[in-house]
Amino acid sequence: MSCGNHHATPCTEVLSLVYVYIDNECEEMKSIQVTTHLEECGPCAEIVRVERVIKARLKSSCECAEAPETLRTSIVATIRATYYQSE
Amino acid sequence: MSEVVGTEEQAEDRTARFERDALPYLDQLYGAAMRMTKNPTDAEDLVQETFVKAFAAFDSYTDGTNLKAWLFRILTNTYINTYRKKQREPYQSSADELLDWQLAEAESHTSTGLRSAEMEALDRLADADIVEAMAALPEEFRLAVYLADVEGFQYKEIAEIMETPVGTVMSRLHRGRKLLRDSLADYAVERGYVPAATASGGDES
Repeated sequence: MSCGNHHATPCTEVLSLVYVYIDNECEEMKSIQVTTHLEECGPCAEIVRVERVIKARLKSSCECAEAPETLRTSIVATIRATYYQSE
Repeated sequence: MSEVVGTEEQAEDRTARFERDALPYLDQLYGAAMRMTKNPTDAEDLVQETFVKAFAAFDSYTDGTNLKAWLFRILTNTYINTYRKKQREPYQSSADELLDWQLAEAESHTSTGLRSAEMEALDRLADADIVEAMAALPEEFRLAVYLADVEGFQYKEIAEIMETPVGTVMSRLHRGRKLLRDSLADYAVERGYVPAATASGGDES
């Protein structure tokens, strides 16, 4: 599948690299090729944009957990008890 | 390894070093434990056990290396070996073999799941919807996506934490994200944020 226009790097290749690209795991040359492609291909650019938004949204939705203070206290107490036992 | 630490290190110093370096990851580990166990009681037990194990093994941790990844690896191991059994969840490794057709489908313009027109719908979805969609993912996909997108680990680090090859991490991420995207598109339709006719599927090609 492609958008019908000619690109130096085909849409299919770019689409197979979307995740490694947005995760910054793409090797440098490939990353440059993808960036160039996205500048000239609207549909692929749109897909990358959607994936980036979802990735960011996921982070903001899931990272807000705060451990209960009682857990922190309990862990510190356990660790210190282990230390005194080991003395 | 620095000359300060190692076998000669006093127990008191080790305790102080552990509290100073490892304890600040408590909230992050708890957040991950909540996504793993899906309930606060088990999450607390899991994190407590993780810290006790980490402290016991702290001599084997090399100062200056990736402490966060080291802690997450202990957390993941503890979860897989203890809590998943306790919760009697079926082992979901078969999930890796599923959905090859979706993998193929993902690599075309026609199946974006959420289209640009639906981006507004994504904005309107509540955090709780996103969390719920994450919770519904098969476990190994959920973990990989969580470690990559919420914790920002690199593929190599996730591979070490989950004790799988990097290729498996990439496959789990790919499939997990695709499932998540489809499920968010479904939520958007259920909530009436987008008409069913325009959501997911290759209907516009």
